[in-house]
Amino acid sequence: MTFPRAAAADIALLLEGTFPYVSGGVSSWVNQIIRAYPEYRFALVFLGSRRSDYGDMKYALPDNVVHLETHYLHEQWGGAAEGIRGMGGDADAFARADALHEVFKAPPSAAADLTLFREVGRDLLPGGRLTLQGFLHSERAWRAITERYRTQCTDPSFVDYFWTVRIMHQPLWMLARIASELIPVRAFHTVSTGYAGFLGALLANTRGLPLILSEHGIYTKERKIDLYQNEWIRDNRNVFQKDPAELSYFRQLWIRFFEWLGKLCYDAADPIVALYEANRLRQISDGAAAARTRNIPNGINLKRLAALRERRAAGDPPPVLCLIGRVVPIKDIKTFIRAMRIVATRLPAAEAWIAGPEDEDRAYAEECRNLTESLDLTDRVKFLGFQKIDELMPKIGLVVLSSISEGLPLVILEGYAAGVPCVSTDVGSCRQLIEGLDEADRALGAAGRVVRIADPQGLAEAALALLEPGAWREAQAAGIRRVEKYYTDELMFERYREVYRGALEPARP
Amino acid sequence: MSLAATKLGLSALTLETAAYAQLALGGSSEHDLALYLLAHGGASALLAAFNYLLLPAGYRVPRLPLLLLLFGLIFFIPVLGFIGGITSMLLIRVIPSLAPPVKFSSVQLPQLDPHDQVGGVGFRQPGMRGFLGNVEAPVPVRLRALVALSNVPTRLASPLLRDLLADPAEDLRLLAYGMLDGQEKKLNSAIHVTLQGYNGTTDAAARAQAARKLALLYWELIYQGLVHGDLRRHASEQGLRYAAEALTTIGDDPALHFLHGRLLHEDMRHAEANRAYDRALELGLPPSRVVPYLAELAYDQRDFAEVRRLLGMLQGWPALPRIAPVVSYWSLP
Repeated sequence: MTFPRAAAADIALLLEGTFPYVSGGVSSWVNQIIRAYPEYRFALVFLGSRRSDYGDMKYALPDNVVHLETHYLHEQWGGAAEGIRGMGGDADAFARADALHEVFKAPPSAAADLTLFREVGRDLLPGGRLTLQGFLHSERAWRAITERYRTQCTDPSFVDYFWTVRIMHQPLWMLARIASELIPVRAFHTVSTGYAGFLGALLANTRGLPLILSEHGIYTKERKIDLYQNEWIRDNRNVFQKDPAELSYFRQLWIRFFEWLGKLCYDAADPIVALYEANRLRQISDGAAAARTRNIPNGINLKRLAALRERRAAGDPPPVLCLIGRVVPIKDIKTFIRAMRIVATRLPAAEAWIAGPEDEDRAYAEECRNLTESLDLTDRVKFLGFQKIDELMPKIGLVVLSSISEGLPLVILEGYAAGVPCVSTDVGSCRQLIEGLDEADRALGAAGRVVRIADPQGLAEAALALLEPGAWREAQAAGIRRVEKYYTDELMFERYREVYRGALEPARP
Repeated sequence: MSLAATKLGLSALTLETAAYAQLALGGSSEHDLALYLLAHGGASALLAAFNYLLLPAGYRVPRLPLLLLLFGLIFFIPVLGFIGGITSMLLIRVIPSLAPPVKFSSVQLPQLDPHDQVGGVGFRQPGMRGFLGNVEAPVPVRLRALVALSNVPTRLASPLLRDLLADPAEDLRLLAYGMLDGQEKKLNSAIHVTLQGYNGTTDAAARAQAARKLALLYWELIYQGLVHGDLRRHASEQGLRYAAEALTTIGDDPALHFLHGRLLHEDMRHAEANRAYDRALELGLPPSRVVPYLAELAYDQRDFAEVRRLLGMLQGWPALPRIAPVVSYWSLP
């Protein structure tokens, strides 16, 4: 398919693994933001892992998207090794990279000196002194890798170390190429740190333009969850080499890598926007300058969703527990299914709906289905795939979130507006959304229940209690009051208008 | 000694002899002296080259200064220099062969692996539970403690991990979750695979074996502390169902009766559990495995005399160090 192309735009949105190819909370938010500012022309830079991981676009592109380019970071592109002649590698550039890695040894902090990063960033650009070929094939690169292996790596396998380092660094050159070829714009806006944030930092540093960072979750934290859970990172230490209190070296290496990608982005971005206070504090502890951070909570289209309340059947709430979200480990769908085992025993009419795409992590989706089977719940738990909120909301009794990590989930707010209370795990801003943030907010009442993570029993009991008609109606009313007062999209758009204005029209001296 | 060296040596000797002969034959003019010096010089140069070639390879550098030195010694010390030059070279060749041969013994190459150096001291904190639960302790230290838990048997680690799911530090919460989830995932995927085998066959023996394995896996979920509340009850029901089914087909298998007993015990069906344990004993399961559970059963039923009697049977069994304190407590008069 052909993408819109333009010679220039106002704002370049840097999107890693989200809009327009992946549906989900962040993607809907991006869609909302683009459509809210028809006066600005947007260029979209989509970064993905492999082309085959994504299907068609999940969203129609708004008219003010004038430019779209897609890049896949983990597709082979470095070129074949044939015909590569021996090369020494640029001494100065490698020395600078070495010095920068000395800085990277420590965990990121606000005090870290990143002037070197700007120079190394320039070296990475096409035509720069630190080329991908140099990294892959030069003698200096080999020496640097073997030296680091000898002095720092606590895992005995050199082969694993070598490829970890290669796989980790290779995308950086692609990002540098993207940075140098991107059409002229007036400001950059990234919706995560990570690779997109690194690209933003490169762009901001080389072009001298403002970078806005809006973080929904905390990217580094989500990466850590992946890294803590996945099984593909090897630990080759034998029983004598292993310090039982130490994570495998490669795991640590990846965690440090993403921590620093985040820090580099924080260093270049202004403002750094969080969705809620706890995340803002987390950004600061991860190395963001406190003065540049601020909170802008999500907001929803109240008018459209409030209309859904009319479509609800009168009477008691339907015993339908609905989890709206992608079927991925971070949503901990399995805890929801387990909780359903308990709910179904006590309330035989109850059903669990899981409404979200399953294509992002097929193995996990398979695991969830298997669990449904082994808990004998196949007729109680329905996997609906992606569903329109407007169709879903009038038919369900509770919105359930069993995530182990969240930002400020729009789906809770959408539920409130449509008259559906929520049971959620105590993650991200969920407690704030359900019970209220400050005194005035709490006075509005609880719009649901908050439970511990990975606690099927607690989740089931909270859901059963909330399905009691009296409790349900109270929670519904509290939810409606809360969303109307604090979380409308008008409030959010107003705040982002200021942010964009500040970036595009810098104050004249 | 190479042919070239031999030739050089002989030529040097001949030339030197010629030089002295010429001198001895009488001439004392300046002309004669010059002839002598020329012949002596030539002989010295040849001998220096001869010596040079005989030196062991490692001693031949730097070449030019070495040659000049040898030449100098031979040329400027008449007669003695020459004799010394030849004898020293012969000695160099002969002396090493006089020394007794050194005996080498072969040794293994040491495994000098830099990755053995563990930086700092590992986690040596006693009282893991109290420490992990201490929210005031620095997160990185608690994180290390948590990672150390991954080497602890799941049955002991899982209650600690479960406590951490509500910890204020997100990193700890997530890591604890990941560890619990990993364990649970292993068992659940094994259950799934076995269940497929169970449903996919009509052969009674294969079905019974699958049922036995399923009972064991559900029991494992309970034993490892990975299921709680209603889910624990569910696992127990499933375990009992499959154990009963396996028993009807397989029949008298002591281990299966024992497993059945443990599931019944877990389900508080004391009398039935007792019968299952007894049956396992009859069928030949060693008393050291069964009697402690029978004692526990008696304890649950508040039959303390029976506990005392059963544990008395275990007295002096060296194979049970872990319950030795319990046994000695109950054998107090």
